[in-house]
Amino acid sequence: MTPLVYVLEDQVQELLAHTRADEWIEGPAYAFDDWTVFHAYTEKPPFAPAGSLCRCLYTRADAAGLVDEEHLPHSLDITREPDGQPVLVLVVSRTPDGLPACQALLVTASGTTAAAAQFVPRRSELYSRNAGLLEVSALGHKRVVIVGLGSGGSPVALELARAGVGHFTLIDFDRLELGNISRHVCGVNDLGRYKTLAVRDQVLQKNPYADVTTMELNVNQALSQVEDAIGASDLLIVASDNDQSRFNLNQMSLNTNRVALYGRAITRAAGGEVLRVRPWQGPCYNCVFSAGVGQGREEEMSQKRQALSVLPAYVEEEKVNAMIQVGLSSDIMPIANMMVKLALVELSRGMETGISSVDEDLVSDFYIWANRREEAYANWPAMGYKWTHPSILRWYGARVGRDPNCMVCRTPLAAHLET
Amino acid sequence: MAWTSQQSARLRLEMEILSRYFPSFVLKDSIIPGRAVVEGAMRSNAGHEYVVRLRVPADLPNSVPIVEIVSPVLRDRFGHPLVDLGTSYPMHLLKPENDVVRICHYSASHWSPNITFSKVLLKVRAWIEAYEGHLDSGFSVDHYLPHMEA
Ligand SMILES: [Zn+2]
Repeated sequence: MTPLVYVLEDQVQELLAHTRADEWIEGPAYAFDDWTVFHAYTEKPPFAPAGSLCRCLYTRADAAGLVDEEHLPHSLDITREPDGQPVLVLVVSRTPDGLPACQALLVTASGTTAAAAQFVPRRSELYSRNAGLLEVSALGHKRVVIVGLGSGGSPVALELARAGVGHFTLIDFDRLELGNISRHVCGVNDLGRYKTLAVRDQVLQKNPYADVTTMELNVNQALSQVEDAIGASDLLIVASDNDQSRFNLNQMSLNTNRVALYGRAITRAAGGEVLRVRPWQGPCYNCVFSAGVGQGREEEMSQKRQALSVLPAYVEEEKVNAMIQVGLSSDIMPIANMMVKLALVELSRGMETGISSVDEDLVSDFYIWANRREEAYANWPAMGYKWTHPSILRWYGARVGRDPNCMVCRTPLAAHLET
Repeated sequence: MAWTSQQSARLRLEMEILSRYFPSFVLKDSIIPGRAVVEGAMRSNAGHEYVVRLRVPADLPNSVPIVEIVSPVLRDRFGHPLVDLGTSYPMHLLKPENDVVRICHYSASHWSPNITFSKVLLKVRAWIEAYEGHLDSGFSVDHYLPHMEA
């Protein structure tokens, strides 16, 4: 097959605007599959690239015509690569009607082969296929804060990037460990990295033009910093793994008047739940979870740090280890997906989009999901053929209201003294 | 960093409730989140006095406050200082941070912003009776107080 070379159109435009006609510049390229596919950049891409590094040279040609093998300057000495690896030469130009063009050549010791160059489209064109379903141009301006980039938060980030959300603030202080891999969007080549940075790279793979800020900190110890980030956003997504952070984030969502979505899985991901908090309009996180709603559905413990942070210090190590019982990624996905739907509805509010009608259905602020008839759902009837009784693998909207005695969202707080 | 307006309101509320149920307790170093403490004396049924200190968390009311018995120096029935036990399940103690006995009252998994200092101090009051029970009978504090489920 003819070797294929992918180039970012934005980078080529940039090069055409700022390079002299006789200038040669070098940029990184990455080769895949026996030197048949190349990804070329004029500068190091913002995400961690894959493939094996390969030398790549750019020059611009006059609009009159593209150069060929014979016109390559011999002084470049590009055929003397160690190990006989090919060098990619990209000759960029503008067509008579002003569009960028690129000719790719693969130069080896034995000669020069033509390769086919393809542009990765510019920011404005990346999501055109979605047009009509989502108000892409508007979502591109939306900013979400995601706290917790584990098995729940990481797929949410990725789905929102796919849907065209343009700005992300990712907050987590955990690093990717071996035990996380099977349930995380990132893989072994991200081991040891901060989850924020690894997920940022995945987001940029879906949308190279997304603006991603990361904060590697504990929200419980950086309250004002995190609250500032939430205040500058359109939506808060909470996929953290402990109540203290959720209580703190709940207060911040109320302080900044930002809608917040909370998702969690219960033990071994037998099921899970998603809570939407519209500050001061519906129940807050404390209204729901201090009233005993979560009782009997204990939160999933997926790692030791999480278990240690909530257990009394005298609980024996054996018991801590026994509490770490993780579910399957496929059992976390429905919960993440529901958070994505609710997020897209919130972010699309005020625009006429393909998912607007879903807003009429999602009237509840609290949703329950069961993966298996275990734990809290052990007494549910089998799914069978009926759809008139509760069953696994369906969403249930529960009616929850504000708790008049909530010590967080009741106003004024001093009213507590009257009771 | 300073207290947010919600936290200031909450602190005022906490102190108003305490003035009714534990009137000897006062707020100290209240300006600085992370340094503020609520301190006061509690008297057991037998008439012994204990000085109790509650450390107001910087993220009030969203995390469990540290509660310590500042004086007297507490010893078990056999005369060993309780602080030397470190974390103790039978005595409901957590690892001391300031060389004084630290009481295990609410666990993080059972904490909620709805829990007031007054409720925390009620638990400490119960711990004191259990401790004196231990001194009398030799049973551990555990014998008198149910544990919070993990
Ligand atoms: Zn509330």
